[in-house]
Amino acid sequence: MKEYGRKMLELTGISKSYRRGKLRVPVLQEITLNVREGEFVTLIGPSGSGKSTLFRLIGGVERPDEGQIAVDGKVVTGKRGLISYMPQQAALFPWLSVADNISSALATSGTSKKEAKEQALEWLHRIYLGGVAKEYPHVLSGGMQQRVSFLRALLMRRDVMCLDEPFAALDALTRADMQRWLLELWESDRRSVLFVTHSIEEALMLSDRIYVLSPAPATILQEITVPFERPRRADVWMEPAFAELKREVLNLLEKGDISRV
Amino acid sequence: MGNKALRSFLIPIATLIGFIAVWQISCIVFEMDPWILPDPRTIALRMAEDSALLWKHFLSTLKLALMGVGLGLAVGIIVAIVLHSVSFLRTALSPLLVLSQNVPIIALGPLLMIWFDFGLMPKLILLIIVCFFPIALSMLIGLGQAEPQLREYLGMIGATRWERMKRLEFPASLPYLFSGLKITATYAVSSAVVAEWLGASKGIGYYLVLKFKGYDTSAVFGAIVCIVTLSLLLYGAAALLERLVIRWRPRTSDDWAGESS
Ligand SMILES: Nc1ncnc2c1ncn2[C@@H]1O[C@H](COP(=O)(O)OP(=O)(O)O)[C@@H](O)[C@H]1O
Ligand SMILES: [Mg+2]
Repeated sequence: MKEYGRKMLELTGISKSYRRGKLRVPVLQEITLNVREGEFVTLIGPSGSGKSTLFRLIGGVERPDEGQIAVDGKVVTGKRGLISYMPQQAALFPWLSVADNISSALATSGTSKKEAKEQALEWLHRIYLGGVAKEYPHVLSGGMQQRVSFLRALLMRRDVMCLDEPFAALDALTRADMQRWLLELWESDRRSVLFVTHSIEEALMLSDRIYVLSPAPATILQEITVPFERPRRADVWMEPAFAELKREVLNLLEKGDISRV
Repeated sequence: MGNKALRSFLIPIATLIGFIAVWQISCIVFEMDPWILPDPRTIALRMAEDSALLWKHFLSTLKLALMGVGLGLAVGIIVAIVLHSVSFLRTALSPLLVLSQNVPIIALGPLLMIWFDFGLMPKLILLIIVCFFPIALSMLIGLGQAEPQLREYLGMIGATRWERMKRLEFPASLPYLFSGLKITATYAVSSAVVAEWLGASKGIGYYLVLKFKGYDTSAVFGAIVCIVTLSLLLYGAAALLERLVIRWRPRTSDDWAGESS
């Protein structure tokens, strides 16, 4: 197994609750986790457990009630502009061409305009989307839009990439296709990734480590290290260890559910 | 142009021709007194007779209306952006904004002439007051309508307020801006005519007063034809501009005539 370097993202004791009328509804409780340099870490948990909320805290859009967030060793709780982000819906700007969608995001992260344009075009060609670089996003299929959205996140000069259920809205075939595509692209340029999903197979296919979350208020039930080697084989799901891990995570998630009823 | 586009063009024309024919025939059948309701042929002849003069006044009104729309557009956009960005000003100034539309221009015109003399100035101010409002109001709505997912995305990657305005809110408000501009374009000509009516030495409004005082009914109708033509011209220009600027949307049948391609 590869040894990982320093912690690029570190959350310590993060708690967050929302006010609903007079009630305080806790969403996150004492979340502690980290992502090391070049590591692919997945958060898995039932929907509504607070995964997107955690991302909003990391992005600095909201502040945690307790705990702190550090990026590359520096405490940056509540600070914006340190991560790149890929949401569930591609969130491409309909009035910008595919290439401009990417280059304008790069400009936000401090790349010069000219360089951003060149980089966007070069990479679009590399992922075989050079032909649609000048088109508006609405001509692209859902899967193609997600590829553009991923590329946009990948190219931003940021320490951590946060991907929030990027494939949840895609059909099963496109989804499997996208997973392999993302894996290949990511393995050629290892960035620190925090990935959210509620698909166990997806988590096992892609990640180095998995944090399993309980239903809301979310706590970390367990941390699992995924033992399969990199570059990961497409048929890794056929290994017995894969099925075993899958069962383990499934059990955890079910137990979490039952303990709340 | 498809069959449908052709039809949406031909049917209104046919309606118009039918209307004029019915008018002409009724005037002949009921032996209308031309002082009360001249027939289309008489009006056309009268216009031909006065064509050189009419053309001069036509251009003068067109120029005034265009200046009014242009300045109204600029003021409308600035007002919308400022009110959108500073919520205090929005609260403080909205009553004043509505008030500006409550004073009838027939009352406002003479006041402005008392304050600013009889030149171009009072007419322009009057036109700006009429023209900026639909634009400011619809754009203000549009600025707040930007898609929440895109807003969230920009927040997560740490875009500045300026970037949010430039990349999201302003482009998202453009379709609204153009709805406002089309309303403005429709009103601008009649407001310009009223302004000229109140005090001018040229323009269709001036011509109208002159002919009205001389009981030259067919010339008054000729002036009305000019006003309608000018209004349609301005509306058409606004609609064309909209098509040129907003190219990212797949064409929809949002035009009042239900055009499609
Ligand atoms: N702004 C908010 N105000 C109140 N409650 C919220 C807010 N945002 C999220 N929540 C609640 O927090 C919980 C977790 O939401 P979310 O983070 O979107 O879950 P997940 O992404 O895991 O599906 C949900 O119950 C949701 O209703
Ligand atoms: Mg979510």
